[in-house]
Amino acid sequence: MSLVELAAFISTHLRRKGIEVVLSGGSCVAVYSAGQYVSMDLDLINRYQVKRSLLRSAMAGIGFSEQNRYYKHPEAAILVEFPAGPLAIGEEPVASVEEISTSCGVLKLLTPTDCVKDRLAAFYHWDDRQGLEQAVLVAKMNKVSLAEVERWSVVEGKAEEFKQFTGALSAPD
Amino acid sequence: MLEPLLGSTNRERVLMYLCLRKEGYAREIARFWKTDLDPIQRQLERLELGGLLISRTAGRMRFYEFNPRFPFLRELLALLEKTFLFYPEEDRSRLAMDRRRPRRRGKPL
Repeated sequence: MSLVELAAFISTHLRRKGIEVVLSGGSCVAVYSAGQYVSMDLDLINRYQVKRSLLRSAMAGIGFSEQNRYYKHPEAAILVEFPAGPLAIGEEPVASVEEISTSCGVLKLLTPTDCVKDRLAAFYHWDDRQGLEQAVLVAKMNKVSLAEVERWSVVEGKAEEFKQFTGALSAPD
Repeated sequence: MLEPLLGSTNRERVLMYLCLRKEGYAREIARFWKTDLDPIQRQLERLELGGLLISRTAGRMRFYEFNPRFPFLRELLALLEKTFLFYPEEDRSRLAMDRRRPRRRGKPL
């Protein structure tokens, strides 16, 4: 089972239990970079902050057990985490999400534009250089609205840092 | 003061401390409020799990601060800052007074 299929399988199972999750973080970058970036964990945002006890029992139903905030399956190398909702990038709620259909279920994930903003948020607030590199990678390989990323960056008070992103984006490989 | 809203006095203490001091560790916060360590530690962990706080370790201590990516941070800080104005004068001066500049080891007062 690929990363996307596993994420879709878990998401679909949880949705049936009334738990809405959306893929975010580095695993989203892995999806949008066609495997150029490798992620060993799945960040599934617990969109409506369902209680952890419900999450724990739903995950146990498909063989995952919780260990120190992460969920592990005896037959999978991937770790699953459920960061607390709401689904937001910086101060703003996420307006729409992408969907990928697989044979294992449907995966909801950030759009490429929101994925870039999400990675840039790590760069803007924590000076995470890897976040900047991931944002550049996703922006190069997908259709991303740079105007929207710029608007959001200004709202976040990070207009100067946005220039660093566009500089890195236009730099030769 | 925000206990009816937050459901816990210690949660308010943690949030107010971090709002004014920007960062802190469990023992320091508990000592400041003259309260037990365990409930403060529990609140810090819950707030981190909920995405309001982030933490980093330095030596054997775990320092907490507000998560700059928490979507309601600006509004939360505005609420805490207003609440601070209603605190007793003594608490306000103690919270606002924060010696962070270095002091040479062994220096007499």
